[in-house]
Amino acid sequence: MTALGLGAVALVFSSGILFGRQGEQKAPAGAPAYVGSETCQTCHEDISKAFEKNPHAVVGKDKRRGFETKACESCHGPGSKHAESASAGDIINPSKLKAAEGDAVCLKCHLNQPTHAGRLRGGHARNQVSCTACHSIHKGMEALRPVAKRAINERCGACHTSVWAEFRRPYKHFLPEGAMACTDCHNPHGSFLANSIRTASANEPGCFKCHGDKRGPFTFEHAPMRLEGCRACHEPHGSANPHMLTRAEVRFVCLECHANIANPATARAGVLGGVPPAIHDLRSPRFRNCTICHVKVHGSYVNRSLLR
Amino acid sequence: MKSLIFLLIAVPALAQQAAAPAAPQSGKPEEAKPAAKSEAAAPSPSPAAEQNITGNVDIGYRWVSGPGGNFNAYRSVVNLGEGPKLFGLDFTILDPKRRLFDRLDIRGNNWGGDPYNTARLDARKERVYNFSFDYRNIAFFNFLPSYANPGDGPLLPGQSPASLPVFLNQRSFDTRRRLIDTELDLRPGTRVIPYLAYAHNSGRGTGITDFVSTSNEYPVGTRMRDKTDVFRGGVRIELNRFHVTLEQGGTTFKDDQELFNAQRNSGNRSTTLLGQQLFLTNLNQAYGIRGDSIYSKVLVTANPVDRVDLYGQFLYSQPRTDTSYAQIDSGNFVLLNTLRFFNGQQDLLAAEAKQPHTSGSFGAEVRLTRRLRVIESWVTDRYHNASSALLSEQLFFAASPADLTRAFSATGLVFNYNQQQVDALFDVTSKVTLRGGYRYVWGDAKVRASSLAASFGQPADFENGEMRRHVGLAGLNLRPVQKLNVNLDYEASSGDRTYFRTSLQDYHRARARARYQLRDDLSFGAVFTVLDNQNPAPTVNYAFRSRDASLSVNWNPRGGKRFGLLGEYSRATVASDIDYPLPSALNVRERSLYRENAHTASALMDIGLPAVSGVTPRISLGGSFFVSSGSGPMRYYQPLGRFSLPLGKHVEWNSEWRWYGLSEPFFLYEGFRTHHFMTGLRLSM
Repeated sequence: MTALGLGAVALVFSSGILFGRQGEQKAPAGAPAYVGSETCQTCHEDISKAFEKNPHAVVGKDKRRGFETKACESCHGPGSKHAESASAGDIINPSKLKAAEGDAVCLKCHLNQPTHAGRLRGGHARNQVSCTACHSIHKGMEALRPVAKRAINERCGACHTSVWAEFRRPYKHFLPEGAMACTDCHNPHGSFLANSIRTASANEPGCFKCHGDKRGPFTFEHAPMRLEGCRACHEPHGSANPHMLTRAEVRFVCLECHANIANPATARAGVLGGVPPAIHDLRSPRFRNCTICHVKVHGSYVNRSLLR
Repeated sequence: MKSLIFLLIAVPALAQQAAAPAAPQSGKPEEAKPAAKSEAAAPSPSPAAEQNITGNVDIGYRWVSGPGGNFNAYRSVVNLGEGPKLFGLDFTILDPKRRLFDRLDIRGNNWGGDPYNTARLDARKERVYNFSFDYRNIAFFNFLPSYANPGDGPLLPGQSPASLPVFLNQRSFDTRRRLIDTELDLRPGTRVIPYLAYAHNSGRGTGITDFVSTSNEYPVGTRMRDKTDVFRGGVRIELNRFHVTLEQGGTTFKDDQELFNAQRNSGNRSTTLLGQQLFLTNLNQAYGIRGDSIYSKVLVTANPVDRVDLYGQFLYSQPRTDTSYAQIDSGNFVLLNTLRFFNGQQDLLAAEAKQPHTSGSFGAEVRLTRRLRVIESWVTDRYHNASSALLSEQLFFAASPADLTRAFSATGLVFNYNQQQVDALFDVTSKVTLRGGYRYVWGDAKVRASSLAASFGQPADFENGEMRRHVGLAGLNLRPVQKLNVNLDYEASSGDRTYFRTSLQDYHRARARARYQLRDDLSFGAVFTVLDNQNPAPTVNYAFRSRDASLSVNWNPRGGKRFGLLGEYSRATVASDIDYPLPSALNVRERSLYRENAHTASALMDIGLPAVSGVTPRISLGGSFFVSSGSGPMRYYQPLGRFSLPLGKHVEWNSEWRWYGLSEPFFLYEGFRTHHFMTGLRLSM
């Protein structure tokens, strides 16, 4: 493609970005028309009154999105036909649409927001989990966007039952107690990191938001922490190990990696992680609790062997 | 913090004058219930918001029996104490005149000596500001037996069983971590939204850790104190089809740790070495670490035409730390390479580490037809840690002059990670969506050589690692009827390079999730996941398999007025087998076999008892258990019973009994059991 062609494509895109108006669609002839929220209120009085306290009520006052006085129809579509027939089939109910179609309704306004920058990388979007699966639009603020940690955990645990079960183990983060919420570590809208893990500061795993002393950079790094993250050794949802390790005893965690004799003949075995020196006689229990000596296992500022 | 508690209680109390009476709220204070109430069963939105203040406060007293068994294990797991408590506080204040705020939410939980206290305040005024303040104070305690020589294995020649300190803990801590998060958004809902945020995270406490010397390690006391402050600010620009966030932030960090010992300490070695006993008599070790980081972040999302969504992120940070370290110790120590004993040591170290970190991502969703969508994403994450240290070490000998050595070490770590993924989603019918895709993950790393025997001062040797993973992706979403949703997710990979022996290599991962709403008041859920990972390389021979299966039921007939049931059962298994050589004889290969079979269940049954004098008491019974067998068997039970009695329109009396019991068949001394009894009032308005 020539430079001229590229320029033309860029011009078309940029004009759309800068001057386009989202949700602005011409209704075909014979299609239902907008009737305004006051008409909706005549039948749905309870919902309308409660909706006045709902943050979405602002849509009805917002000129820039083109739904002034039409807050209800901003999500439910033009309501003239429904107003005449009173049939549920004549109005859009976003919670009953396919996930992608339902999301499209919400994304008319919410697409271009920072929380959704990772949406396309998130598992929810890929697995057809719609916005309304988590957000109840008409109910109060807490149902729309829960802030109470118990309420958030309740909502996530409803689908992620096996993950929630892990929090019944003795060593876990304080989620069942309500001191933390799933969203402290995960961004349900998607994130730069895998498993929708939140980032701390700019681009670091969210674990360091609380565990700042493990953040480094260290003079002597322990490579797995950087290359594979905290979950290389830890099971953050719940564990049988007091330090929330992936195995009940620390020696299993360390020795599964630190037992590598590189074999040049087999490229696949050329992995990182060497064998401990011969003084580590594993027949002696003294050498089975690795972090007793390698106290700075996350990385050391002082010692190459992570001993201090 | 007392003033904070007072403030949290006083604000709604003072504002109460303007409050109109409200219906009492049902009392289910403590238990988090991980199941969604059915949409239809939930009460319809009601015009209840005529009053300006709504909320409730839970206050009461907790008694703790015992605990029987290992008190330190109890503190490490449960750590709840006796005394008067503010269990919960939750108020919403609306200002109809919209003076300082439209809405103010205040929440607090677990105040009065509990190991986790939280407080949160949200204030908003439409189109003027959104403000949030979040505070947490969490105690971390760990004093579970953790030692290098527990005496449960074969003794080395010369060792006697009596010499092994079985119950000594050498890695314990008693710390508190305080977290503050605040954010102020200005002009929310407008096109240009400036914002400012501050986060504080600090930890301090004491503990026991090891001072490690050649051929012996000595448990000593430690004091820890670290603090991280994050300041950030930026602007969000929201146009109709375009959004950009520009953010600039900075972090300051400090970490001071001390190790100390002032008495004769024989450490873990009770036998002599070359006829001499090794011991520590005095130790002062101090770390002073200071760090900072400046970062920049740009997020962009766009919807240039109706069929295309784009997003992109670029982030750059450069964290840096400076270390000053000093150590003075005396006792009797050994240099094994020269077989010389020395009785004093002085170390000074100065170090610096820098880690420029760049990451970016770009993605697009293209809706090619009404039924077909394609999602493409690309991610890169790369950093380079460059560090150097200068150590000055002086050893003092009894019969010869002191040895002074100076050593310089430069090391680092380079990491480049890339991922590219494409997914196609096709709506076969309005009730069936198919997904197929491909992910390619690749990267390289250069890390410090992992030979743990390498000593300070040796030239830095590096290892290079590569990672390449081709992953096939598939998914299926079925909605045959409105009440049933089934989701299947599968990925498989044949990796040809990996960083670590236990990394994902040749793997299959599958997840099936189903949710069935049989009636408005009855729903079932099921989840099954499996991960099967193999690395068949001859020197690795790794086989890992984990399986999780869970079932849940949520039954609330007639909106749970008389009866409600919430139940979950989960079974999880892990099997991890891998070859390893004995370090002392590399030609001898052993097989590590790790097994974990866990059953977890939780249930809560809520029963409304017959009304007496117009008052309907409620009783709740349930709890949870975790039972595992295999390499680290464990049992952990938490049954509970709860009784609630409304005493008036705004007052409810709640009482609760809980039992906590932990036992480990391999480590019986780590078990504990205790009863908790709580009683208190819920005051609502």
